[in-house]
Amino acid sequence: MSDIESILKDIDRLKPIPQVANKILSIIQNPDSAMADLSDIIVHDVAVTANLLKVANSAYFGLPRKFESAHQAIVFLGMDQVVDLVLMTSSSDNLKTAQEGYDLDAGELWRYSVSSALIARELAERKAVGDAHLVFTAALLKDIGKVVLSQYVADSFEKINTLVTDQGYTFREAEKEVIGIDHSELGGLVAKAWQFSPVMVEIIRNHHVPQEATMGQTETYIVYLADTLCMMMGIGVGSDGLAYRFHKDAVKFLDLTERDFQEIMSSFGEKLQEVEDLMQNA
Amino acid sequence: MKLIVGVSDMKVSSDPEAVLITYSLGSCIGIAVYDAVAKVGGLLHFMLPDSNLDRDKASRKPFMFADTGIPSLFKSAYQLGAKKQRMRVIVTGGSQVLDQQGFFNIGKRNDMAVRKIFHKNNVIMDYRDVGGNVNRTVKVMVNNGDISVKVSGQGEKVI
Repeated sequence: MSDIESILKDIDRLKPIPQVANKILSIIQNPDSAMADLSDIIVHDVAVTANLLKVANSAYFGLPRKFESAHQAIVFLGMDQVVDLVLMTSSSDNLKTAQEGYDLDAGELWRYSVSSALIARELAERKAVGDAHLVFTAALLKDIGKVVLSQYVADSFEKINTLVTDQGYTFREAEKEVIGIDHSELGGLVAKAWQFSPVMVEIIRNHHVPQEATMGQTETYIVYLADTLCMMMGIGVGSDGLAYRFHKDAVKFLDLTERDFQEIMSSFGEKLQEVEDLMQNA
Repeated sequence: MKLIVGVSDMKVSSDPEAVLITYSLGSCIGIAVYDAVAKVGGLLHFMLPDSNLDRDKASRKPFMFADTGIPSLFKSAYQLGAKKQRMRVIVTGGSQVLDQQGFFNIGKRNDMAVRKIFHKNNVIMDYRDVGGNVNRTVKVMVNNGDISVKVSGQGEKVI
């Protein structure tokens, strides 16, 4: 079996994303569906409610009283926020593990994923563009390919790192050159296997080369920039470091200034403690 | 005893058991100081070059910015008996994304802010490992003054 074949087989070894996440994703992407449908799913699923209450009651929200039901959380935080939290708790299993190939201890990829998702949402809101749920979820799951590829990166780290340090490759380009597939392409395949929408697959696949996205381009640019900001802040960054390209067209596309960048970094930097509490509870 | 210096954080110590450590510097900069006579170590992890971005935030989080964090680091070390002329000063971090050049290059701006502040205050850097596109972790051993920089994926070296 070639490396690629065995890598593709490894997709099946990921813990499958809970069905409920798929149901929620398909409802929020369908303009004809009603809020009540979402509410029904969340309120009636015991595991979802339990997980939701844990994160909703974390220090991130800093609320004086604890929520005791999913219904209370929906009324108080709003459905938008609750949906993001449910999607977050549904994706944590795979992302919380250590990724040896990327020199990430347990919890670090999760920190990176949650931070990217929160920043992506903030960018979408700040610029009032893009589908906020889509960018949140795509940013959260964009590095799922790393979970599958980690072992292969570990086996070929020297070769990959030489291309990055001596020949100006990005880490992703070097993965592709040495292993034959890179983590974003692989992430797209995982998203497909999990039956995510084509636009979600496209965002995840192109999160390092947003200009190549054939749909959901605004969302892809947002996820790309959130990823870049996280790398710069050094949140959950591993051996791939900052070895990815900066695409000027992304900041032009979203009409962002350097001041926007600095403001996002400083406001995120101020709530790192609360973010930590949120991710520990998810 | 490990004392973790978070993002936008600073710690100084004269406790010989203390090891100051800051993880994962991207475009942020870490400044480590050590006075071998007073046996005092300090470590700052700042994120942005200039507190004019948001003065209120700078008063709540002075270690977020170079211009408010660096003076605090030095003053806190002096309070424990350190002297500027005896202090080793190590600056690291300030990485950038490939092809970033002048665009949104906060790592480079952070580096320039440090140099400007040091120049104005006659502080001489003993070692500088800034830029590139790597992710760094810095550690200060207060008992013997060993300062080490670990580049993720490449191992650790004592400066």
